Amino acid sequence: MIHIYVTSVPVTDQDKALDFYTNKLGFVKKTEIPMGEHKWLTVVSPDEQNGVELLLEPMAFEPAHTYQKALKDAGIPWTMFMVDDVKKEHERLVGLGVDFNMEPREAGTVMIATLDDTCGNLIQLAQML
Amino acid sequence: MNSKKSFYEQELDRLVSENPLSEYHYAYIRQSKAFMEQHLAKELKLEEMAAAAFMSRFHFIRVFRKVYGLTPRQFLKDLRISRAKELLKTGLSVTEVSNEVGYSSLPTFSIAFKRGTRYSPKAYQELYKSNPE
Repeated sequence: MIHIYVTSVPVTDQDKALDFYTNKLGFVKKTEIPMGEHKWLTVVSPDEQNGVELLLEPMAFEPAHTYQKALKDAGIPWTMFMVDDVKKEHERLVGLGVDFNMEPREAGTVMIATLDDTCGNLIQLAQML
Repeated sequence: MNSKKSFYEQELDRLVSENPLSEYHYAYIRQSKAFMEQHLAKELKLEEMAAAAFMSRFHFIRVFRKVYGLTPRQFLKDLRISRAKELLKTGLSVTEVSNEVGYSSLPTFSIAFKRGTRYSPKAYQELYKSNPE
C-alpha cells in the first residue's frame, strides 16, 4: 500500500534549519544520515513521531535557489503546518524572535499567519476554524 | 513586518472578496463543526448537524462540502479518528476509546481506525508506547 513517508523544505543551511525547526518551531529530530557534504536530515511532529517526516533538504541544485527566492519575494509560503491556535503560536514565536511577514488573519475556514524560517522560506501556520 | 501587501496576501484578499459564500455561511458551518466536536461521543444524525448550522440537510451537505472540502460524514469520521488517537495515547482501553468516539460497535471502530491510520487501535497504542514524545 502506498503512503506518504516524507515531504521536504529546501534549506540554505541544514544545521541552521535544524536549530530553527526544533528549537523554535518545536519539531523533533528523527534521522540524520551523512551523505557527502550534506545529510539526510528529517524532523517529525512531537505527537506523531512515527508519522510523516519533514526533510530539511540541502539546495545543491542551483535553480532551486531561483525558485525559492521567487516564492519568498511574492510572499508565497513553501508549505503549511497546522497548529491548535495560530494567535498563541504567533505570540510564542514572536517572543522567540521569529519574524512574521503576515500576521494572523482569517481566510475562509482557517486562521493563517506566515513566518520566515531563516533558511530561505516562508512557512504558513494554519488553524482550522 | 512589511506594510506593503505581498502578491500572496493580495491574492488571498481577492479570493476572499470573490467567494460566493457569505460570512454567515462560514459562521453557521463552523457552528456545526463545533457541535460535532462537542458531541462526537454520541451517534450523530445528519439532521442534528444540519440543525446546528440552521440549514436543511441537503443545503447543509452542499455548503459544508464547499467550506471544508469533505462531506459532514467524512469530516466527522476524521474528527473521531483524531480524537481516538489522542485517547489511545492516554492508555484507555480500545473498547473505552471506541465508546468515547461514538462507535457502538468495536469491530466497526477498529476497521475505521485502521483505514484512517494504517494501524489497528491496539497496534497504534503499542507503537506510541514504544515511541512516546
